[in-house]
Amino acid sequence: MSNAMNFAFMREEPAPPNGRRVAIIGAGPSGLAAAGYLGCLGYQVEVYDKLPKPGGLMLFGIPGHRIPADRIQRGVFILSRKFGVNFHNKTKICCSAPLHEEEGDHFSCDIRGLGELVEDHDAVIICSGAWKSRKLGIPGEHLKGVYSGLEFLFPIRAVKYATSNVSVPPVEGRTVVVIGAGHSAMDVAHSAKALGARRVVMVYRRTKKDAPAGSYEVDRLIDAGCEWLERRTPVRVVADEAGEHAAALEMTDANTGETEALPADVIVTAIGEIPTPPFQKELGLENVRKGEVRWLHMTSIENVFVAGDVLTGPSKIGKAVYSGLRAARSLTNWLDLKAQHRENEYNYDADVITRPGASNEPR
Amino acid sequence: MSECQGRGKTLHIDYSKCIGCETCEAVCGFLYDTPRIAMARTNDGQMIPIYCQHCEQAHCMKVCNRGALMRDRDGAVVLQPMLCRGCETRNCVIACPYAAFFATDRGVAVRKCDLCVGRRAVGLGPACAEMCPCGAIRFADRDELDELETEASREARDRVLAHIRPKK
Repeated sequence: MSNAMNFAFMREEPAPPNGRRVAIIGAGPSGLAAAGYLGCLGYQVEVYDKLPKPGGLMLFGIPGHRIPADRIQRGVFILSRKFGVNFHNKTKICCSAPLHEEEGDHFSCDIRGLGELVEDHDAVIICSGAWKSRKLGIPGEHLKGVYSGLEFLFPIRAVKYATSNVSVPPVEGRTVVVIGAGHSAMDVAHSAKALGARRVVMVYRRTKKDAPAGSYEVDRLIDAGCEWLERRTPVRVVADEAGEHAAALEMTDANTGETEALPADVIVTAIGEIPTPPFQKELGLENVRKGEVRWLHMTSIENVFVAGDVLTGPSKIGKAVYSGLRAARSLTNWLDLKAQHRENEYNYDADVITRPGASNEPR
Repeated sequence: MSECQGRGKTLHIDYSKCIGCETCEAVCGFLYDTPRIAMARTNDGQMIPIYCQHCEQAHCMKVCNRGALMRDRDGAVVLQPMLCRGCETRNCVIACPYAAFFATDRGVAVRKCDLCVGRRAVGLGPACAEMCPCGAIRFADRDELDELETEASREARDRVLAHIRPKK
């Protein structure tokens, strides 16, 4: 067994080519899982991604000590060499927002439209993920030195792929304040420590035991020398004398009701991401989310499917993988029945059955 | 049923490498509808996969009155649903030291990992091990288990076991 995240786990060798071409937008966990499934079944798969390498946030978001990059890359290698999957990196498929708005867009040098892909392929799966960071909505958030979790983490990995327009946030010898207590907040704090920050302070509005990443992870951070402030609600980012750069974070302490200012050189708001689907309305994603569609994971554009975080919002690799696999299976079912003009025999209710308790959840 | 060659194979999870991403559970659920490896959240908030370790001295096999649990030729403890069906004692669920039997609400009363028996029949390995992003899950020879353990993995495993079997 090779040490690869084997996206093509369904078969040892691909089935004979079936003559169908599918485009997958996004080479993160759900896109790669879908590519693996379809590749195994004999589909010609074309994967488009805005970044210079496939892997998505498994490669560019989550630090390497958690997920070994070479394991992902070997999985991608199997897909391309053995299963004939073509990877089109640095290619952005036309999106709802103008270019250079999401983290990672600056890598793209080719832009193509979704309509073009739909015409050129038998089907398309959109797995473009959740790239837009949620904002706190407090004054001073726009100041220099204030980053979102992704803005902070992404360049640390991306800078290895050498482009002049990516730079690692300057934290060496400085005080970094991290807002949030999810896994990305934990990753930001560890990374800041590893990059030589003098002081790392975690700020969370609830208590350690409510932390989404769990109290174990918080304790590990404290062991690593980070400070933990709980029940603190950020109210304002205070600017420096020039009024350009963040100098402190003002927050209220729910224990005492008092407002305090915490001096900070870098402030990272790791409070989650929101999906960034291309053509949100045209695709009718809201209906897909609610399950009000006639075909599992199919959008309101025929032959266009959707899976992963772009559908559900930020989740976990497992959920994204599951969603990608389900969308791929649904897609094959769709094309198979359609080829025989038997679409009306499709049993949506049977298809959505998942494990008990999760049956209504779009996954 | 043929005897297992040597000490056979099993699944090994290095909990120090696991990041709790749920991919194992998701892939298992995709293949078999209801997963046979399941995520649990410990009291201190860690997500951990609970899984069958295909014990050499398997308690589940001893307590099953129907002989529905058998060891296959690779060393996996596999459930024979046609023998299990109709049993409601759930002796196996109670006996398993790793909480790796999962009660169901209809049909065969329990489900458990069979090391992807259908996949093994065609030369593939368990899907969870293939897809784990971290390389934390290994489909390993029982003889090489000792080599897979590190200080960190033992420590992490102890934490998991403390969750499965809390001290009274």
